[in-house]
Amino acid sequence: MAVLEIDGLEKSYGAVRALDGVSFNVPGGEIFGFVGSNGAGKTTTMRIILGVLRGDGGQVRWNGTPVDLSVRKRIGYMPEERGLYPRMKVGEQLVYLARLHGMDVAEATASMEHWTEVLGVSERRHDEVDKLSLGNQQRVQLAAALVHDPEILVLDEPFSGLDPVAVAVMSDVLRGQAAKGVPVIFSSHQLELVERLCDRVGIVKSGRLVALGTTDELRTTERLQWELGLADGDLTGTWPGVTVTAQGDHTWLVEADSRAAAQAVLASAVSQATVTQFAPVRPSLTDLFQDVVSETEEGSDA
Amino acid sequence: MMWLIATREFRTRTLAKANLISTSIMLVLVVGGALLAKPFLSDTEPEATVLAVDSATAAPLIPFIEAAAEAQGMDVEIEELDAEVDGADTTLPEDAAGLIVGPVETPELFMEDSDDAVVALVHSATQAAVLDAQVTDLGGDPAQIGAALAAATPTVTPVGDADDFDPETFFAGLVVCVVLFVVLIQSASVIMMGVVEEKSSRVVEVLLATVRPVTLLGGKVLGVGLYSLVQAVTLFLPILFASWYLGFLESLEVPVGTIVANFAVWFVLGFAIFTIFFGGLAALVSRQEDIGSVTTPMMLLMMVPLYLAIYLVPNNPDGTATVVLTQIPFFAPFMVPMRAAFGAISTGETVLAVVICLVTIPVLTWIAGKVYAGAVLNTGGRMKLTEAFKRG
Repeated sequence: MAVLEIDGLEKSYGAVRALDGVSFNVPGGEIFGFVGSNGAGKTTTMRIILGVLRGDGGQVRWNGTPVDLSVRKRIGYMPEERGLYPRMKVGEQLVYLARLHGMDVAEATASMEHWTEVLGVSERRHDEVDKLSLGNQQRVQLAAALVHDPEILVLDEPFSGLDPVAVAVMSDVLRGQAAKGVPVIFSSHQLELVERLCDRVGIVKSGRLVALGTTDELRTTERLQWELGLADGDLTGTWPGVTVTAQGDHTWLVEADSRAAAQAVLASAVSQATVTQFAPVRPSLTDLFQDVVSETEEGSDA
Repeated sequence: MMWLIATREFRTRTLAKANLISTSIMLVLVVGGALLAKPFLSDTEPEATVLAVDSATAAPLIPFIEAAAEAQGMDVEIEELDAEVDGADTTLPEDAAGLIVGPVETPELFMEDSDDAVVALVHSATQAAVLDAQVTDLGGDPAQIGAALAAATPTVTPVGDADDFDPETFFAGLVVCVVLFVVLIQSASVIMMGVVEEKSSRVVEVLLATVRPVTLLGGKVLGVGLYSLVQAVTLFLPILFASWYLGFLESLEVPVGTIVANFAVWFVLGFAIFTIFFGGLAALVSRQEDIGSVTTPMMLLMMVPLYLAIYLVPNNPDGTATVVLTQIPFFAPFMVPMRAAFGAISTGETVLAVVICLVTIPVLTWIAGKVYAGAVLNTGGRMKLTEAFKRG
């Protein structure tokens, strides 16, 4: 099974510790979301994977062997800071990049035509890159990451600055690549998108990976909470092991120490009034992210 | 891979609109200028002097006039005719500088404007004819006498410390050095702009994900080198054509072959040394505006070897300083052609200088590649050289 292993990466810039032992694996076919606040170490990690930056410690392996230049040629990379030759034509540029990755002219041209078509910039093949809108430049940038038919995709903020249509196109492309068995790593600040798209998520904070798992795993917390809604009336009574933690307009947030205790609340609510909703509350990735980030901040302050 | 990068560099530079336009303008100026100037220049060219010869009385003089004209480097055209002589009222044929009427031993020369060169020509032709006749009468061989006379010239040997400063060789050496300097400065700035362009557009990160920094820098140097070479040739060929067309080439008295060979060798070596160096340094800055902070000191530094070559070599072609500087890579591209123009360098010295440069190039590539790798992803202000080297 193809797997990209990131093992104990370390990197310091002078006194600043940018990465402090970041490890995770991304198997082929998985979309891995890389989340963290600015300066947390996402870009540094990706640059080390691509060999653009040299880490101080740790190793990146593909199928068990350390990643070297020949493997890197098989990675599709979209850097955080977009970069293309501004005065070079879209088509020429993509063919050139594909050839730098080892394709011959015919393959490179066919691939350029395919990806400009898929990403909706085929009309602009003969235009210089800086004549394109930012959104279209972004599409060309993604095409540049895909044009050499990579075995691994590493994309730094691929969705930033895209309109909803482009986001949908790009999401489809990433899903398609994953379906082909390509491990896809991307970073984003758009957490709803990460939640929707990714199989697994890693949250990085101050150079350390502080949470790692599927979105479901991450959202499952030790505290069991339910949201209860009533059409009218009030929720009254006390139940063992249950506390009402918040109250809104006809809604209550109850925390129970077991599922049975929660069922008792529901039973008594049904007997009192019309129940409009009763659902477990799980933190969204956004809540989780804020939790994790603030927790570790407190942790590191202590 | 490096070749692919070089090809792109070459194509982008060569096919750039600005380049195509400026090159065509230069071509049109040089070639068109030569074509336009030709009629004016040929007007001033000395035309053949026409000498009319009376066929009845002076025809035997014709071979002697032709021989004398050749010996004196004069362009003379003979026109045979039947002259009508009428003293001072004799009319000359149109365009003729003079009319010669026999007898052969004491010819009469009719001229409108007295021309000493023509008089001297006819004089020596007459003497030769008389001598020829006398020698034949005495039973000798005129051809043998002629050969013996031709060989009778003194050999001149200069004695003592003659001033061997030859302005023409100095000028030839100067031209090579200055052209080299201009080409190197130009290519170096093209490379630096290219490096900074890749850096400021951030495309370098995409490139470095698949290419080693040294390969990227090497490809750039190669591509821009080819571009500069083609550029130099596209300018040189029309100039050569124009010089040939206008007849300047024949008057050149310097060893053109040696000079061109020297230029070719030191163009390649000097190019490699300076541009690799400059390319590495260019990575230290991130914006086009900042490029001056690196280039200006470098350009000034580059003038040092140029000026040393210009001032040191003519005054002291074999001095210790000259000999030592010849072997230092950054100086050699200017020192060697200059000394060669003066003929003041041994083959051994030239070979040594070339070898030292060839050895330096990989070392320099390694250093520049390291600086480049360390600095090329740094954004923001100018980076320190030592820091870049450590990071790379």
